[in-house]
Amino acid sequence: MKPISRMRPLGVALMMAAVAVTSMAGFGAALRKRAMLGSHQQPMADQWFEETTPTSPQLIVSGRKLFLDSCAHCHGADASGDEGPDLHGVEVSDRYISNIIIHGIPHEMPSFAKKLGHPEIGALTAYVRSLDGS
Amino acid sequence: MDAGFWTKLHGATTHFPIALTLCSGVFDVTGFALANRPIGRDLNAAGYWAMILGALGSLPAVISGLVLTKGVIIGHGVVRMHHLFAWPAFALLVTLATWRAMLGRQAARSTFIGYLAGVVIAAGLISAAGYWGGEMLIAR
Repeated sequence: MKPISRMRPLGVALMMAAVAVTSMAGFGAALRKRAMLGSHQQPMADQWFEETTPTSPQLIVSGRKLFLDSCAHCHGADASGDEGPDLHGVEVSDRYISNIIIHGIPHEMPSFAKKLGHPEIGALTAYVRSLDGS
Repeated sequence: MDAGFWTKLHGATTHFPIALTLCSGVFDVTGFALANRPIGRDLNAAGYWAMILGALGSLPAVISGLVLTKGVIIGHGVVRMHHLFAWPAFALLVTLATWRAMLGRQAARSTFIGYLAGVVIAAGLISAAGYWGGEMLIAR
């Protein structure tokens, strides 16, 4: 193997860039995995089977508007995740979704208790629930 | 810890590689144009160190950005636009700094012209990444 000083400088430079970008991407993937685990706090078993809140197309449309105003900049306009996690097919109860909206997640998601009232939180919950099958 | 700590740290650290890359480009192009004068060599040295420090400064900027976004590599919307420029800029900065360090301060003229072209592209990419970073703050 040639000593580094005798190798082509541009080749070594490109190799260094590849190592740097791959390392940072790996670091990012590890952070992402950790954040996703933390964000999807596992609900208690009895929370999985709670009855769902009655919903309607109007409620979902209203929830979608609220989502775009308050949530899309972290969860993405299509709710498929950005800084925050993908909200499609979350396997938690409506109460669990509402509680997360109301209380937030320490250091990850703000509380919306002061910004949104019960009807708005219900609409948002209905919207998130509507993403189940999409 | 302050909830905005990583936002502030990313905002602080990103300005070093942006400023140093732009300065490096200006110093090197001016130094290249004035190569026959003593100040040309000084500008060349300034461009050299600005590039090395700019590439080193990009590491805390990238790390703080990754921690801030909890590991988002590309993302959506404005974040996506920021990342589409920031990652190539980071790769190019590391490439240029390593290349320059290996070439030393006295490179062949044709090689140096290629290097300068890379610096101009890196300056454009990092400026665009900075612009979309600013747009992110406005979007929030």
